Amino acid sequence: MRTISHSLQYKFMPTINVTLYGDIAHYGSGKHIAIMDLDLPEDAVIDTLLQEISLPSTERGYLFVNAVLYDAPGLYASRNELLQEGAHIGIFSIRHMWPYQYRDGIRMSDSLKAAMEESGPMQNTYRKT
Amino acid sequence: MARKILRINMGALSFAYEEVPGKWAKWGGRGLTSVIVADEVDPTCHPLGPNNKLVIAPGWVSGAPAAPSSGRTSFGGKSPLTGGIKESNSGGISAQKIAKLGLAAIIIEGVPEKGKWYTLAITKDGVSFDSADDILGKGMYEVDEILWKKFSNEPAVIGIGQAGEKKLSNAGISVNDPENKPGRYAGRGGLGAVMGARGIKAIVVDDTDGPGVEVANMDLFKTGRKKLTDAIMSHDLTKPGGGLNLYGTNVLMNIINEAGGLPTRNFSAGQFEGASLISGEMVAEMVEKRGGGMTGHGCHAGCIIKCSNIYPDEKGDALVSCVEYETAWALGANCGIDDLDYVAQMTYQCNDLGLDSIEAGNTIAIAMEGGALEFGDKVGALGLFDEIRKMSPLGRILGQGVEATAKAYGVHRVPTVKGQSMPAYEPRAIKGIGVTYATTPMGADHTAGYTIAPEIAGVSGKVDPLTDEGKAALSLTFQAATAFIDSTGYCLFIAFPILDIETGFAGMVESVAGVMGLEADGIDAIEMGKEILKVERNFNKQAGFTSADDRLPEFMRYEKLPPHDVVWTMPDEDLDEVFAWMD
Ligand code: SF4
Repeated sequence: MRTISHSLQYKFMPTINVTLYGDIAHYGSGKHIAIMDLDLPEDAVIDTLLQEISLPSTERGYLFVNAVLYDAPGLYASRNELLQEGAHIGIFSIRHMWPYQYRDGIRMSDSLKAAMEESGPMQNTYRKT
Repeated sequence: MARKILRINMGALSFAYEEVPGKWAKWGGRGLTSVIVADEVDPTCHPLGPNNKLVIAPGWVSGAPAAPSSGRTSFGGKSPLTGGIKESNSGGISAQKIAKLGLAAIIIEGVPEKGKWYTLAITKDGVSFDSADDILGKGMYEVDEILWKKFSNEPAVIGIGQAGEKKLSNAGISVNDPENKPGRYAGRGGLGAVMGARGIKAIVVDDTDGPGVEVANMDLFKTGRKKLTDAIMSHDLTKPGGGLNLYGTNVLMNIINEAGGLPTRNFSAGQFEGASLISGEMVAEMVEKRGGGMTGHGCHAGCIIKCSNIYPDEKGDALVSCVEYETAWALGANCGIDDLDYVAQMTYQCNDLGLDSIEAGNTIAIAMEGGALEFGDKVGALGLFDEIRKMSPLGRILGQGVEATAKAYGVHRVPTVKGQSMPAYEPRAIKGIGVTYATTPMGADHTAGYTIAPEIAGVSGKVDPLTDEGKAALSLTFQAATAFIDSTGYCLFIAFPILDIETGFAGMVESVAGVMGLEADGIDAIEMGKEILKVERNFNKQAGFTSADDRLPEFMRYEKLPPHDVVWTMPDEDLDEVFAWMD
């Protein structure tokens, strides 16, 4: 497990805590898990974060913000969500399984709910295998 | 040669082969153990008394040539933990060997003379009844070793540890893996005590020169096998290097924790600050750092997913297989323990003593809540296994599982349904699983309602995952589909590729139809699953279960679960809907 602190030079910088799980941990200099504190620009959205750590969206699986599910593999519902000071973001590789029955009823963001309504809520993954 | 039933009578120390009666002919695995138990066991009998039976059945495709990931053995009987019907299935090397002996099921009945213990050896020539004096009182690691020395051809060893010998309600049945280690368990429900009550310490199965598995339509079987194999090998979760292969089932630890649904410190919170330290990712790091272990381990020959692992100790020697999600959660997060080495040592103790690790971890958490130890006291938790090994009065209470321990310690927050404790998913945060916990005939069980293609089951898009609405119908579909997969002999983890890849589902059905000599379109997985559930529910009804037993524990209705501060809100009437079709 790798824990790093990463500071960019922005004026009003919310600090967020990010954990990368699985093979995407190398985007945070870890092997299987990387934990980082990042300072981002004031108006940073989730896409800003993904760009800062150079994580391609095709490698991003489930994404959580403060224990709320914001995105699922193959969906891009969260990209414009604003990041708040002190937020914790957990991002999983696309290889992480999460059987439907173990997520049926968990908290989700409004944008993800809307995206799932469009794509059908029952998929195990939205990525074409 | 048509499949046969092997009936073993422990009173007379005799055995007989029987034709499979027509009414049982279409069943394998769980379907078969459940219909046999329902037909032959008095639902009101005492689970440890002479009228209960232990039924063992490989799935339909187990032992068929190169059927992928199909080594599941189902064990059935009346459960001493729940008082209802029980099917618990295990990986390991037994299913293929039983199937290759041409056996559809083994039915063990009767009890031997008091104080007599036996090792049964099953070969193509029949059954021998050897004294078990050489292995009595020993843990499963030693038992497996002794029996591989004593019997040739590296047989399957189905055995019980000291917990089963003492007929403790949390005793499981061990099956050895290809390295001849215990750790594949039909753990849930205390069937190890049912085996112990029949005076059996171990069953050795050697399939040498057995007739093999008859495949009625080899072309159809091969077509199905290829489709299913291709689906497993191409899916992100199940392919080589995929999520299950890399991190095992413990790939779930961090996800469930991030979602706020990881039961922590006896179901008092939904997130554990030490989750990442006991996760599958951390197991992989330890294996790489220390050497001597492995990830991507298969629990039987022919598994192409290989979700198992061998965890190394600090010196880099193999310590235990397997630190899987439920085990790491029960002995870790739920006890407030974030040290993987201690979790691994406790897993070893469960494997050796013959305990279900889910029930064992929950039991320790209850003891902690009751004040026996502080949450997080890893040394104290490990020490509790010594009490069970010594069979001290405390050890015997702990070995009876959560409900007995809760009574002993005056704990009212008891996370059980039908006497069986919950696995690693908080039903207040993950509502769908709560419906399954409440209503499955098995007692709180996560595998009872495993994920299956809802699209295929015809419920796609009709259910909003965020409301309570529709969850009853969905849970029934999941439970039925699971009952079907549990009958095939395939590992439940094929559910991912068959969910996401249409040809994978078709392949699963065709391979089953090929073995059984049925038309592929003549198999309706959900309807067959419902038939199994009906048999099981009827058994429970006759055993005295009512709708009051289909409920989650009271504290979950009023105690808010952080971080989302949610309570269980599902109305009782909705839970009763799940099986209303049976009335
Ligand atoms: S996927 Fe895992 S549990 Fe299933 S058969 Fe393979 S090793 Fe055993």
